[in-house]
Amino acid sequence: MDFDFSEDQIMIKDAARKFLEKECPKDMVRKLKEDKLGYDPLMWQKMADLGWMGLILPEEYGGTGLAYMDLVVLMEEMGRNLLPAPFFPTVALCALPILEYGSAEQKEKILSEIANGEKVYTLALTEGSATYEASGIELCVYLEGDDYLLSGTKLFVPYAHAADYLLVVGRTSQKGNPEEGVTVFIVDAKSPGIDTEVIPTAAHDRQCEVRFDRVKVPRENVLGEVNKGWDIVEFILQRGAVLKCAEMLGGTEAVLEMTNNYAKERIQFDKPIGSFQAIQHKLAQMLIEVEGLRYLTYEAAWHINAGIPSKLLISMAKTKANEVYQRTCLDGVKIHGAVGFTEELDLSLYFIRTKSSEFSLGDGGFHRERIACELEQLQPLFIGNCL
Amino acid sequence: MDFKFGEKEEQLRREIREFAKEELPPGWLAAMLEEENSDEDWGFAMTMSGKLAEKGWLTMSWPVEYGGKGASLWEQLAYSEEAAYWGIPGVGMGIGGVDWVGPSLMMFGSEELKKKHLPLIASGKPDGVWCTAYSEPNAGSDFANIRTSAIREKDEYIINGQKIWTSAAHRARWCWLAVRTDLNAPKKHQGISVIIVDMKSKGVTVRPLINYAGYHIFNEVFFDDVRVPSTNLVGKENNGWYQLMHSLGFERGSVAGRGCGYNRRILDELVQYAKENHLFREKEIRHKLADMAVLIETQRILACETIWKMSKGSNPVYEPSRDKVFNDQIAERLAIIGTGLLGMYSQMDPLQRKSKWTKLKGCVEALYWLFPGIAIAAGTDEVEMNIIGQFGLKLPKSY
Ligand SMILES: Cc1cc2nc3c(=O)[nH]c(=O)nc-3n(C[C@H](O)[C@H](O)[C@H](O)COP(=O)(O)OP(=O)(O)OC[C@H]3O[C@@H](n4cnc5c(N)ncnc54)[C@H](O)[C@@H]3O)c2cc1C
Repeated sequence: MDFDFSEDQIMIKDAARKFLEKECPKDMVRKLKEDKLGYDPLMWQKMADLGWMGLILPEEYGGTGLAYMDLVVLMEEMGRNLLPAPFFPTVALCALPILEYGSAEQKEKILSEIANGEKVYTLALTEGSATYEASGIELCVYLEGDDYLLSGTKLFVPYAHAADYLLVVGRTSQKGNPEEGVTVFIVDAKSPGIDTEVIPTAAHDRQCEVRFDRVKVPRENVLGEVNKGWDIVEFILQRGAVLKCAEMLGGTEAVLEMTNNYAKERIQFDKPIGSFQAIQHKLAQMLIEVEGLRYLTYEAAWHINAGIPSKLLISMAKTKANEVYQRTCLDGVKIHGAVGFTEELDLSLYFIRTKSSEFSLGDGGFHRERIACELEQLQPLFIGNCL
Repeated sequence: MDFKFGEKEEQLRREIREFAKEELPPGWLAAMLEEENSDEDWGFAMTMSGKLAEKGWLTMSWPVEYGGKGASLWEQLAYSEEAAYWGIPGVGMGIGGVDWVGPSLMMFGSEELKKKHLPLIASGKPDGVWCTAYSEPNAGSDFANIRTSAIREKDEYIINGQKIWTSAAHRARWCWLAVRTDLNAPKKHQGISVIIVDMKSKGVTVRPLINYAGYHIFNEVFFDDVRVPSTNLVGKENNGWYQLMHSLGFERGSVAGRGCGYNRRILDELVQYAKENHLFREKEIRHKLADMAVLIETQRILACETIWKMSKGSNPVYEPSRDKVFNDQIAERLAIIGTGLLGMYSQMDPLQRKSKWTKLKGCVEALYWLFPGIAIAAGTDEVEMNIIGQFGLKLPKSY
């Protein structure tokens, strides 16, 4: 085993931290929270120039051809700095599945446009039932001539208001179990019949309702195979969840650091509050949790990177991330006392994202169920071995 | 033993339910800490204060001569619980008017102050609204560390200094202010006094502090050569610390009844939501809600025990702290379970409660985003735990 970062990874980490600290300080994060678009297209272009969007895309599409693990390292830095940008939807939710499932023409066109920062993509998956189960996919799809017609409503679609294209998950067949009969479409966001509305979330993180009214999509815009779209969704759920964990990990690291610093500085009863055991133990617990999350996330990511099936580890990592991110933020706020309750404190920017991170690509209930299903199918080690 | 409320309290509960039905808009569901935030919500709260005053409920446990009804502690508890369950706003007269300014004045105030202020609070009118200014930038948990000073000059005090986190200062007519009157006292607990300040006085400046969810709850308050009549001193000069321990006891004691009423309402809303959305059959959800029911019933019975001790004439020492921490813990679990139940819909901005995506009128997300505030205010969990350890368990002082 080796817990070290590679040279590439150290370079990515350092460069990302430097760039984000300079280009995206917290007053920028606050400004963008109130901004209409919610991100800065200029910064976006600079990120593309640094090769971030194409980090793990092959060189033939203008990428750098690095590995999944390297993207994890980058996401962690983005989480630490709270980068408000459609990076996660564009790269994690769209570029990765298109690279895996796209036709040669689709990859050629789309991936280079993503790599050079020209286009923003997002995934329109969840609906009113707000679940990541296949049964939640109800968006109707009909074939009319050479076109598909899409009708229905998608909810909590990140950055749809800014997207050029959407990956839309629709129901193409009612037969069989819900996972069969789902298809993924690449849809031009400017197609007639699409209506987008930003949902007012506490985090102001630009999740949208997208309504489709007989939206025409040409046949060649199917991603992968018709009725086999759930495989793609499963792929996105797994790859995306670990990237979300990395982002959340970066957040918890920052919160632990800030809170620890504050505990050393803040004097009450003539002592730093960090000298009270109640506070020390809380911080110690935070450290246990954050380090646990860090290596569980890296472990899951490493398995994905190595191409080893890792559904169990992925769900463990997201379950852990959901718990730890929330706990760390809540304790961080409380250790700060009243100042932790204000918008002035950077920590609040992390806290206000607890719910959107938790519900992105599966909450605790969803992933615990997946873990339990895996456990059920595993043969315990002691069975069949002589004792 | 007897674990039933009397007929008098049950009758009062029925009357409050009737009142809530008549006076609150249909489908009313209060959200945590929203009262002081917007002018609209504040206006409505004040209207309700007036109506509660007319009913004689606002300050029901005060003596008749000061605008009360001489109601028992049990009636007071039933009222607090019901008012919180139905979400009747305007019960507090700002921060502390009803719950601790009035009771402290009755204990320590001069006849003149009692005659002036108690009826004002009891009237439910804007001139009876209070804020409470204890905390300063360097005096939070270590409240005795305050520096704001009041220097006596003939028949006036001249006040200078800064307070912080002063809730409702932007709504209040009066300030219940903790100051240092003896700058040379050997220990920091000595030399503290309580003085009443008219918020309209020259030299008082209120600056808003905004919460991370966008709420305007608390403020900074600056005192710049503010002159108040020396008769505004509450109780004895330099006796403030002793008096304030009583006020803080009243403050912490007011949490439990209201807390269990409000928590119960949120639980009921969640149960109903789970039923309507076919979630109630899921074992995991059933059990989480069942756990909450256990906690809230425990909270209710503990609150009753505190009242029972008080009704027997004993002065509770650690019980208000116990009930306060317990309420914070319940609010936290309820917020986490509630947001889990609403799932993605719990991400909504609590200030956009009318949005079409909002469930349960936003009360669950408001609880989630704001419970850390109630857990910190009036003494953090750690401070309350210290009190329980030191005074409830007689352990050595730990800090
Ligand atoms: C919503 C809200 C409303 C408020 N309204 C008012 C108001 O109207 N008027 C007013 O005067 N104040 C008000 N306050 C302020 C409140 O009383 C203080 O925030 C509180 O006393 C804690 O002080 P602090 O914020 O300075 O935290 P600190 O005292 O700095 O505490 C920071 C951390 O250290 C811990 N700590 C401190 N001492 C110890 C110890 N001895 N042992 C273990 N841990 C310790 C605390 O528990 C906390 O976790 C309000 C606060 C909030 C959040």
